[in-house]
Amino acid sequence: MNGGADNASLGNRIAVVTGGCGGIGTAICERFVREGATVYAADIAGDSRSAARYLSLDVTCEDSIRAMMERIGDEQGRLDILVNAAGIEIESTIEETTLADWNRIFAINVTGMFLACKHALSLLRRAGGGSIINFGSYDGFIADPGLAAYCATKGAVHALTRAMACDHGPENIRVNAVCPGYVDTPMLQGFFGSSGDIDSLRQAVQDVHPVRRYGTPEDVANLVNWLAGDEARYASGQLWVLDGGLTAQVQQMRL
Amino acid sequence: MRLKGKTALVTGGRQGIGRAIVERLADEGARVMTCGRAYRPSDLPKEIGWQVADVSDGASVRKLAGQVRATFGGLSILVNNAGVQIEKTLAETTDADWDRLMGTNAKGVFLCCREMIPLMERGGSIINIGSVSGNTADPGLALYNASKAFVHGLTRSIAVDHGPAIRCNAILPGWIMTGMADAAFALASDPDRAKADALSRHPAGRFGQGSDIAALAAWLACDEAGFATGQCYTLDGGLTAASPLNPGLF
Repeated sequence: MNGGADNASLGNRIAVVTGGCGGIGTAICERFVREGATVYAADIAGDSRSAARYLSLDVTCEDSIRAMMERIGDEQGRLDILVNAAGIEIESTIEETTLADWNRIFAINVTGMFLACKHALSLLRRAGGGSIINFGSYDGFIADPGLAAYCATKGAVHALTRAMACDHGPENIRVNAVCPGYVDTPMLQGFFGSSGDIDSLRQAVQDVHPVRRYGTPEDVANLVNWLAGDEARYASGQLWVLDGGLTAQVQQMRL
Repeated sequence: MRLKGKTALVTGGRQGIGRAIVERLADEGARVMTCGRAYRPSDLPKEIGWQVADVSDGASVRKLAGQVRATFGGLSILVNNAGVQIEKTLAETTDADWDRLMGTNAKGVFLCCREMIPLMERGGSIINIGSVSGNTADPGLALYNASKAFVHGLTRSIAVDHGPAIRCNAILPGWIMTGMADAAFALASDPDRAKADALSRHPAGRFGQGSDIAALAAWLACDEAGFATGQCYTLDGGLTAASPLNPGLF
């Protein structure tokens, strides 16, 4: 069978995951390792909780990105998979968002992705092509209250994803974005924390999902793994919403 | 073997995308039944069940559900793939065309879902074949385009009403090399040139194959996709990510 999930579907692949020590990033690294890939977990701080190789990375710094790609090039000679999972959230309206906050979230969520993709291209070409997976969000389509700058960064990620798919498809480089809804991560706890009682919120949020739960980092890693591998060889330029059915509904009115 | 122990019904499995999905689900370990309006295709692997059924006919679909129940007991995966295409603008379309196209593409999906949902156990997955043409119009395919928009809308409703027991998603293929795509290219004044132009608009540098669609269907069918529901996933080699106005092609 070609590329089923039972056996290593990413054997011999070289992968790097930015934000690789975060909630979702760790789950992706663990999954890639299980699928047989050589995985670099690149993050600003902390250590790789998975079996991935830790790389110190500041995605906002072009020299840091260059140094990372040089090291991967020296050690592996190529790159097959780039996952741009580094991202932050700022819980405020634009009125409460300072220019410094705005610049910081764009630097990490958008500029960081641009730099990582830009400097990965030559290594991806050396592999004969590859798969780039960006982190968009369902917030790039519809707004969560009090997350204005975050929503805007995700809209930028979506547009850049399509543009890069269009430009680099002929080189056999596929570019997609995963757009998670509510996923159980420290970021979500932060969002809940700003809105009152976490336990009653948790139940209410679960109940509004058609699948009656919110997502796990493993759910997201399942989709990223599919997009990374050959099974998804015709998938490019798309924004893959994974939200337990949340946005298939109109808002639930309490009448 | 991600689908070991699961049972699947794929409508329209005689050829093209449907056949590719049938064979892929079987490769992944599922017991698979498929159907069509005529005799069993001679090259269908013998372990695949075949039923003569017309998805646009309520009595025929009820009978099909009875056969699924008798053969499998229950159903884990339903793939609504059966579809027809009529190459006409709205003004050219007759009442008979409406009945034939909407009967299969719209009513057929409705009937199969209504009759099979009671057979689907918790954790079931419905996969509808929509189309990029349901979001942006292909010229000369008026009712086909509209029928696929219906499929996308129904997909969301089923996900919302029948979750969490059942997940429902649609796959929206772009240009997949099947008889249906050839029929659409045949409308062009110069089909070869039209094909070359279409190809150059695909960032992936090629048209899709049935196996591309089957790969996504297999993922959506399995438990890996447990958080995926209510979505319409486009699989088109990048075609609709780019603007239709491409100065490089003038």
